[in-house]
Amino acid sequence: MRITKLSLAVAALVLTGTTIQAQTNNASITATASVQTPINVVGAQQLNFGNVFPGVNKTVNATDLTNGGRFDVSGQASTPVTLSFTLPATLSSGGNTMPIVSYTGVHAPLVTQVGGVAFSPAAGATPTLSAIGALFVWVGAQVQPATNQVAGVYTGSIVMTVVY
Amino acid sequence: MKRQAWVVIGAMLLGVPLLAQGKPLTITGVRGVTFGAVLPGVPRVVLRTDPANSGQFDIKGPKGGPVLLSFVLPLRMTGPSGALMPITFGASDAGFSSTASIGNQVGFDPRQPTTVTFPNNGNVSVFVGATANPTANQRAGAYTATITLTVTYL
Repeated sequence: MRITKLSLAVAALVLTGTTIQAQTNNASITATASVQTPINVVGAQQLNFGNVFPGVNKTVNATDLTNGGRFDVSGQASTPVTLSFTLPATLSSGGNTMPIVSYTGVHAPLVTQVGGVAFSPAAGATPTLSAIGALFVWVGAQVQPATNQVAGVYTGSIVMTVVY
Repeated sequence: MKRQAWVVIGAMLLGVPLLAQGKPLTITGVRGVTFGAVLPGVPRVVLRTDPANSGQFDIKGPKGGPVLLSFVLPLRMTGPSGALMPITFGASDAGFSSTASIGNQVGFDPRQPTTVTFPNNGNVSVFVGATANPTANQRAGAYTATITLTVTYL
């Protein structure tokens, strides 16, 4: 009888030993990322053709610091970005339209346009933000009023999209 | 009575090899998944085969036994002021190496519990890759999340 009890005890030990095999353990690691400065774009200056006369085309160059349209971009310093544009084919005044064509562009690291690079807004561009994360983009174009263009204020929206 | 004693001794001897297999199961988080600099709106992928940026766990355990690997994976990384950034894991973003070498992995899905067989030396490694998905207006700053691997000897 004593041996039988001993047998049971040993059997229990063996079973216990077997149970210990079903081990579980865990550990953790960390995923880390450093997100850089988001891009911010501001429509800083309108593209302004001023007074336009019927039958007389008028051009505002992208290099025109006074009348050219300007976007101000800020983001991660020294990082390349891609510029793309949605360009209207006409300006509107109520139900009347006026063609706008021949878009031109300049991008530069300084608001004075020093170091500027010409580009075609229709094709887009891939400039690099400056060492302080700045970029300035100017847009020019030509309007072509018809000889019977109805008088009025004509407007259209130029949209620039900037992505890293 | 003597016969019963032999049965007991036999059982004890049987128990010895079973216990000898019971090498302690240890798991160590060796290296985290490092995305580095991430730009808003631009996904960043870290492959499990990336020797510098992939995550790594080293496991020491049973020799030649089946083992269940299961992860607790984050859905987002937490950043400044509680900002969140999605992190995703693909069907082959984890790798099991029976030689504990990043160059010798078998890919598996970290989203599913997976059974693997340990080699005779009981030393293996598990590597992890992932993708960070910052939004276009993701707040700048440092983001972190925890990846946990649980190992169960079956």
